[in-house]
Amino acid sequence: MNRKLLALPHYGSLALLLALTLFPFYMLIVSSVKYTEQAIHNFWGISFPIHFDNYSAAFKQIAPFIGNTVLISSAIVVGVVLISSLAAYSFVRFNYPGKQLFFVLILSLMMIPGYLILIPQFLLVQKLDMLNTYQGQIFPPMAFGAAMATFLMKTFFEGIPKSLIEAADMEGAGERQIFLKIIIPLSLPIIATVAIINFLAGWNNYIWPLVATNGDAVKPVILALSTITGNMDQGVGVKLAGYIISSIPLLLLFVVATKPFISGVTSGAVKG
Amino acid sequence: MTNTAGFFRKHWKGYAFLIPIFLVLGTFKYIPFFNAVKMSFYDWNGANVKDFIGFDNFIRLFQDDTFYTSLKNIGIFTVSGILIQLTVPLIAAVLVFHVKNMKLQNMLKVWFVIPLVIPSIVIYLTWQWIFAGEYGVLNQFLEAIGLDSWTHAWLGESKTAIWSIIFVNFPWIGGITFLLYLAGLMSISSELFEVAKLDGMNAWQRFIRLELPLVRSQVKLVMVLTIIQQIQSFENILVLTNGGPGDTTISPALYLYTKGFSYSEMGYASAIGLVLFIILLLLTLINNKFVKNTDKID
Repeated sequence: MNRKLLALPHYGSLALLLALTLFPFYMLIVSSVKYTEQAIHNFWGISFPIHFDNYSAAFKQIAPFIGNTVLISSAIVVGVVLISSLAAYSFVRFNYPGKQLFFVLILSLMMIPGYLILIPQFLLVQKLDMLNTYQGQIFPPMAFGAAMATFLMKTFFEGIPKSLIEAADMEGAGERQIFLKIIIPLSLPIIATVAIINFLAGWNNYIWPLVATNGDAVKPVILALSTITGNMDQGVGVKLAGYIISSIPLLLLFVVATKPFISGVTSGAVKG
Repeated sequence: MTNTAGFFRKHWKGYAFLIPIFLVLGTFKYIPFFNAVKMSFYDWNGANVKDFIGFDNFIRLFQDDTFYTSLKNIGIFTVSGILIQLTVPLIAAVLVFHVKNMKLQNMLKVWFVIPLVIPSIVIYLTWQWIFAGEYGVLNQFLEAIGLDSWTHAWLGESKTAIWSIIFVNFPWIGGITFLLYLAGLMSISSELFEVAKLDGMNAWQRFIRLELPLVRSQVKLVMVLTIIQQIQSFENILVLTNGGPGDTTISPALYLYTKGFSYSEMGYASAIGLVLFIILLLLTLINNKFVKNTDKID
């Protein structure tokens, strides 16, 4: 009796909250397949014919920029994983003077907010002749991701049994072999998490490419969203279709890698 | 001489593995950071003008009305952000947590998290369209239910613009806080819920006496995160209003960006950044103390 009485407001409020959360996306999807005419006459519902041509029109305009973003984000991921795993290995495997200091030096970088160094970074990249290049969009974000990644990887590496590494050492395995054959294969979960954090960050990056690029050659898709236009008939639908297309890769990533995705975004939050 | 050689023979491996990361961090973070600090004492346009002016930038900053407006705005963002993040996502997390059917619970979790998966700029652009004056979703909705007089150019009017920015992502569940609360609830021992049931607690009593006290470390974490995040408000404002109308919705980070890149006042912009950095640093230190103390109590 009591349970049934409770269930109604419980599920009712959940349904309401979920509906409100998803409503903007419903509107986005429904409106992205309408022409202006349809949007005026039937604003809220699905209206036939469904205009998938909005999607092809949008895709034509942003396809090269999606390629740019994929390239830039992937390069950031590879770079961060590489330099951070090497650093984390150094911290876990070796003892040397200044180790703590180096670790603190890396960690304290997480305290520096991005906008503080935005201007000097821009001037630096300008000096290095990296404005309007892929490198210019890869290295600075890579430096941003590396501190957090080093911290996460160091913590994970510490959980790998020391005896395993010592045994390999006894067998005469070099550092390269220990790193590539033992540490890396055992650390795939944390590598996945780090990769997803940085892929997301790379895909979402807005301010840095806004500052470090102009023109179309190396522009990422996020910057291209505001320039999508439809013809007279199509109206705003093409723009909305473009928003959805640019979100699909991340949605797919979420679907195939839900677990590292969630752990990635939450550990990214704790970094502050 | 032999000592140094011996030292390096013994330790070179440890240092060698650090070289790549310090090359990248040194070039793209340390050097820019020290330059930012240095430039805040210069009258600098990023090119030919570069004069040391001591604390003049800071003196000017503390007499700058726009800067105070921006501080007031992040105050509003922070307070409302805390109120929002401490209520709706927590309620949603409790509701989802008490769904008995695990399959349904997981499904709800995934659906609530969807906004987190969408690129943030897409979220802002979507809400820009929702708030649009003509054929904006919100105005269409108000007209549909007969409240024509309530329609506004939400982002274009100084009275509504700042609240519209805060309203983005309503009902504010699809975020990290929801996941953090849920993780906190999941770590509560199930025996406690058994006891609560035997005691005949209703949902409200259970929330007040059991759940709220036991997720208080999450609540504190969310507060800290919200403060840090809101003080740095930048992209949402840039996309939605660009600080307007006038300067009514400007934030310090956006003010820095505008001064630096639209007016080439790069020294002055750096001073804004440095002041904000110091505010954040102080808050983080206070937070650390605060959070550590509660850890001890826990």
